[in-house]
Amino acid sequence: MNTKKKDVIRVESLYKKFGQMEVLKGISMEAGEGDVIALIGSSGSGKSTFLRCMNLLEIPSAGDIFVGGEQIKLKQNRQGLMVPQDRKQVDRIRTRLAMVFQHFNLWSHMTVLENIIEAPVHVLKRPKQEAKEMAMALLEKVGIAHRADYFPSQLSGGQQQRAAIARALAMEPDVLLFDEPTSALDPELVGEVLRVMQDLVKEGRTMIVATHEMGFAREVSSKVVFLDKGVIEAQGSPDYIFGSPDSERCRQFLANLI
Amino acid sequence: METAIIIESLPKFLDGTLVTLQITVLSVILGFILSVPLSIMRVSKNPFIKTPVYCFNFYFRGTPLLVQIFLIYYGSGQFQSFLTDVGLWQFFREAYFCAVLSLTLNTAAYTSEIFRGGIQGVPVGEIEAARACGMSGTLLYRRIIMPAALRIAWPAYTNEVVFLLQASSLVSIITLMDITGVARVVSARSFAFYELFLTAAGIYLVLVYGVIFVFKRVEKRITAHLNPSMLTS
Repeated sequence: MNTKKKDVIRVESLYKKFGQMEVLKGISMEAGEGDVIALIGSSGSGKSTFLRCMNLLEIPSAGDIFVGGEQIKLKQNRQGLMVPQDRKQVDRIRTRLAMVFQHFNLWSHMTVLENIIEAPVHVLKRPKQEAKEMAMALLEKVGIAHRADYFPSQLSGGQQQRAAIARALAMEPDVLLFDEPTSALDPELVGEVLRVMQDLVKEGRTMIVATHEMGFAREVSSKVVFLDKGVIEAQGSPDYIFGSPDSERCRQFLANLI
Repeated sequence: METAIIIESLPKFLDGTLVTLQITVLSVILGFILSVPLSIMRVSKNPFIKTPVYCFNFYFRGTPLLVQIFLIYYGSGQFQSFLTDVGLWQFFREAYFCAVLSLTLNTAAYTSEIFRGGIQGVPVGEIEAARACGMSGTLLYRRIIMPAALRIAWPAYTNEVVFLLQASSLVSIITLMDITGVARVVSARSFAFYELFLTAAGIYLVLVYGVIFVFKRVEKRITAHLNPSMLTS
């Protein structure tokens, strides 16, 4: 198992402050090709912020992020806040990290199909016909091809999230970032989204998933990272984390879930 | 009631209707074109970008349209030699040009505030999703923010267009023969104020209804995503 895999994404001592509040306090992590990393932890532990820092939806206060070996260049502006040095670079890197949001965030004025071809056509400059064919194949895969011409508001939450996953896949990203993808769903709709995600794991996709679904973390992830108060409190294989982790806090957290 | 005078003056009212329509349509189109960039500048965080728009809107929303028309039509005479030098006097001496200019600037100010509300009403998550796909700047505005903002702002924008159509009656005061202008001139000669302004009111009513009809059709089309009827299929 120790074969040196190429890092798809690597984060080094990441800090994030909102005003006086320090949310992330020096987090380092890397994901190799095909890794599935589950980020777990209670609300407010910094999972979402950490994930959003990776594609610069939040700008870290300090630390380094490398995507495919390329460092995202940041600089300090006059107010002393970090800002991207090169916005073009940020846009380019974001096309390689697709994100799936808790609240789906589909573009409500576009149909499902239009949602999926939007970025491939206008950002990646793919021919429209080719993008459409690919979109239909993806919709087939997530099981909602018959809803291609519907608007997001006409779909159930589970269908919307599957459409959002198809939209992310259409970018052919190197990494998929999931920000609590099932937290806004009715319990009975969680399964259909998790099944799609499991299929993606089987395809060997690199995924980083902030989640409260311990079943998913335990069964399909290759590594579990437990965040607490902005630091990595424990990390390791699912067997280790869900077995007998050294961290008392981690054991408490997991015990409280049952 | 003297119906004869109404029938007699109908050809003049027809000409007046064309003038009203021309001035309104021109101002609506030009005002729209101006207001889209203005509204985007208005939501900028950069004070050098948003303050000029704020001042522009402050003036055009803070003073009566009639005063604006007078200032542009009569006021421009103060600068006749300068305007002649830069070749603009030929425009400013025309009442028609001054009317369209004032209405355009006035509606641009109101419309840009309406669109600003629309832009600020676009769900943050949808904008984040676009950014996460690598969209930014013009592309983000053109593909995601403005289409969503216009849909939000459309009903309020319909009101603004109706208001502008009615406000265009003020141009009759600077000699233009629009619907109100015709009613004024003909009634001054015939003293049939009641008949002629009733006719004018009727024509405005029809025009306003037409505008509302067209805008409602557009609204239905662009907000199809809010219509749940497809769910049943």
